[in-house]
Amino acid sequence: MNDWNAMTDAEFRKEVRQFFEAEYPEELRHLPHRPKFAEIEHWHRKLHAKGWVAPAWPAEYGGMGLNAAKLLIFYEEQQRWGVNRGRDMGVQMVGPLIIKFGTQEQKDYWLPRILSCEDIWCQGYSEPGAGSDLANLRTRAEIDGDEFVINGQKIWTTMAHDATHIFMLVRTNPDAPKKQQGISFLLAPMDQSGVDVRTITTLSGETEFCEVFFDNARTPRANLVGELNKGWTMAKALLSFERIFIGSPSLAQNALGQLESFARGRGAFDDPVFRDRFAQAALDVEDHAALYARFADQLKRGETLGADVSMLKIWVTECFQRITELMIEAAGPDGGTIGPLQVGNISVDVLASFYKARPTTIYGGSNEIQRNILSKAVLGLPG
Amino acid sequence: MLSSEQDDLRLLRESARMLFERAGGSGRARKLRDAGGDFDPEMVRELAEAGVFGVAVPEDNGGLGMGLAAGGIIAGEVGRVIAPEPVVLTIGLSLGLLRRLCPDHPKVPQLISGETVLAVAWQERGPGGAPADATCRYAGGKLTGAKAWVVGAAGSQGFLVVAQGDDGQVLVLVEANADGFVINKRAQADGSSLGELSFSGTPAAELASGRAVQDALAEAVVDATALAAAELVGLSERAFEITLDYIKTREQFDKPIGSFQVIQHRAVDLHVMCEVAQAGVGEALAQMDGETDPKIRARLASRAKARAVTAAKKLTRDAIQLHGAVGYTDEFDVGLYLNRALVLSAWLGDDAYHRRLWFEAREEEGAAQ
Ligand SMILES: Cc1cc2nc3c(=O)[nH]c(=O)nc-3n(C[C@H](O)[C@H](O)[C@H](O)COP(=O)(O)OP(=O)(O)OC[C@H]3O[C@@H](n4cnc5c(N)ncnc54)[C@H](O)[C@@H]3O)c2cc1C
Repeated sequence: MNDWNAMTDAEFRKEVRQFFEAEYPEELRHLPHRPKFAEIEHWHRKLHAKGWVAPAWPAEYGGMGLNAAKLLIFYEEQQRWGVNRGRDMGVQMVGPLIIKFGTQEQKDYWLPRILSCEDIWCQGYSEPGAGSDLANLRTRAEIDGDEFVINGQKIWTTMAHDATHIFMLVRTNPDAPKKQQGISFLLAPMDQSGVDVRTITTLSGETEFCEVFFDNARTPRANLVGELNKGWTMAKALLSFERIFIGSPSLAQNALGQLESFARGRGAFDDPVFRDRFAQAALDVEDHAALYARFADQLKRGETLGADVSMLKIWVTECFQRITELMIEAAGPDGGTIGPLQVGNISVDVLASFYKARPTTIYGGSNEIQRNILSKAVLGLPG
Repeated sequence: MLSSEQDDLRLLRESARMLFERAGGSGRARKLRDAGGDFDPEMVRELAEAGVFGVAVPEDNGGLGMGLAAGGIIAGEVGRVIAPEPVVLTIGLSLGLLRRLCPDHPKVPQLISGETVLAVAWQERGPGGAPADATCRYAGGKLTGAKAWVVGAAGSQGFLVVAQGDDGQVLVLVEANADGFVINKRAQADGSSLGELSFSGTPAAELASGRAVQDALAEAVVDATALAAAELVGLSERAFEITLDYIKTREQFDKPIGSFQVIQHRAVDLHVMCEVAQAGVGEALAQMDGETDPKIRARLASRAKARAVTAAKKLTRDAIQLHGAVGYTDEFDVGLYLNRALVLSAWLGDDAYHRRLWFEAREEEGAAQ
């Protein structure tokens, strides 16, 4: 068993980098779409054999047990090499919740299956009437003997059509005085007659997310995680690390690198106006990275992050969008063309980047919601 | 755990802040402006006692040897109270030149101790003009010609002038009361002035000559640019605090205006811009301290100034808007911050100018690799 945290940051980075560079399949680098599991299965096997599927989990549960600093390095290297995150909702979201709030039986049963991807998870939070106002969710789960009976609808469920299980927030007490109070966290199998999945085609023409309908679907009572009606606080408890991850500079940095090679190949830098806008975007990325480093240092010192970490997401996602606009601008008459554009010996899929940038300001708490949070929790502005 | 270096910087920040607060904060800046726009020589001496001017001068030459990042911290505090004292001018330009060209000259300790203030005159045709185009000539102990955009000309005891000598450039010292020397003052938005100097056979003492003058000047300008960026960040930070207080207390429609979502989101954007500027400019200055290649240092300074001006523009303009009509009066302090930001933004190149330099430097580094 390796004690990764005892290594220096540089040693650890080197080790991670070497593994990715040697083992990650070339054809999967910087995938422009979200892969189905079958597409990345051979890579997942390697990762699993190495014991690297769950970098953040404690070692006793089969994780790498990385501290926050090492974890950031791991993700930085992953993104630097264009390593796909794979179908990681189990590892990123359900696993940590079970580890923190689950029973011993739940841990013994689910955690190994998450690591091996025997179970593949999707996240069932959003509903047609519950987006930013997530606590407004209506999907009901009622106790019937040893089971919960589920009725309702989830939407925007990423990769539900390629998942075996769904973890969901459901309403278990419709009469609770506050809507946050009657919500529970439930695990359910997808492969049953009461669950109907319909894919939704995105703007870019991919089928990345779905609607999931529940019509008297069933799941064992043992699949309730944590206490009944305490799902809301549990789900919120998980957000802290995700908030810095979603604000990391890598998406914007990668896009900027692409923009630069593309613009150079296209001669866009001959135009002083374009040069200036490129410089603006590049400086926006550089200065964001400086701000990100401050938060990362906080984590490294073992401090917990405050609500102010939201500013990273606001800045970097909007910056990412501006960069992809510049790619379209540099593409000129090809700015509406689907698929990779060839310039010299590189090819850049301008529209794929553009589409990828759009939802970053919507999911993970929309940027407007992040601004609401900052204005109240950080600036102390009233009501 | 913070390193001891970070601890030193924190202490430096705290003592500079206390000194300025005790002296009256931004209210002092208003009084000085109303009294004619000069800085306060007494304050210069107090700052000197706190070690402010020698902060970036090596210890062997009587300074603190703490580097540019420390200078930036002080400049940030100057910006917070929009103090008119020539802090960036002295740390960055006058001492920046002398410590590089003639560190043993008696003016060095005088500048560090605040006994004297020297303005620096090198430009004749704007920040883009190459020093080699200079027409102001020095020969046989006399200076003839003109210089412009001289900051701090009004209260200085003397001038460091970069001129054309017989063999390339020279740095000379001109006393403020020298014969054949006229200063024309152009009023600036913040109450300070820019000097236009004309010399006709003015007596001057040569301090240095040759290629070294050009190099030292370039580096001093780079330092001053980075420090001006730090000053703008401090200014922006304080302009934001004033605005945040205002929107929490000003009521309309029976509520604090800070309860309206549009105002809240604008306030958040200002806050985020401020934080990005602080982080970016702080990082740039810290990296400059660890870097010896003048070209890379210049690129970092341009990064800092580009960000700082962008931030200060947004912060000070929006601050006025969020104050409503009182923001348009001379009575409220935010206006002082706007006016100071106008002056500091224009000095040594604005954001567009520095983005261009930054881009060109980056291209050059890329091509060299
Ligand atoms: C690509 C993608 C993948 C996703 N994957 C999943 C998934 O796997 N599982 C899952 O559960 N969900 C998923 N989501 C859903 C996502 O969490 C929601 O889209 C998000 O919470 C916003 O909800 P909404 O789309 O209903 O927008 P709404 O909440 O209706 O918002 C519409 C607009 O109104 C603004 N707005 C709303 N409330 C306020 C307010 N109080 N103040 C100011 N502005 C406000 C929003 O910012 C937005 O601009 C995904 C979304 C996307 C785009």
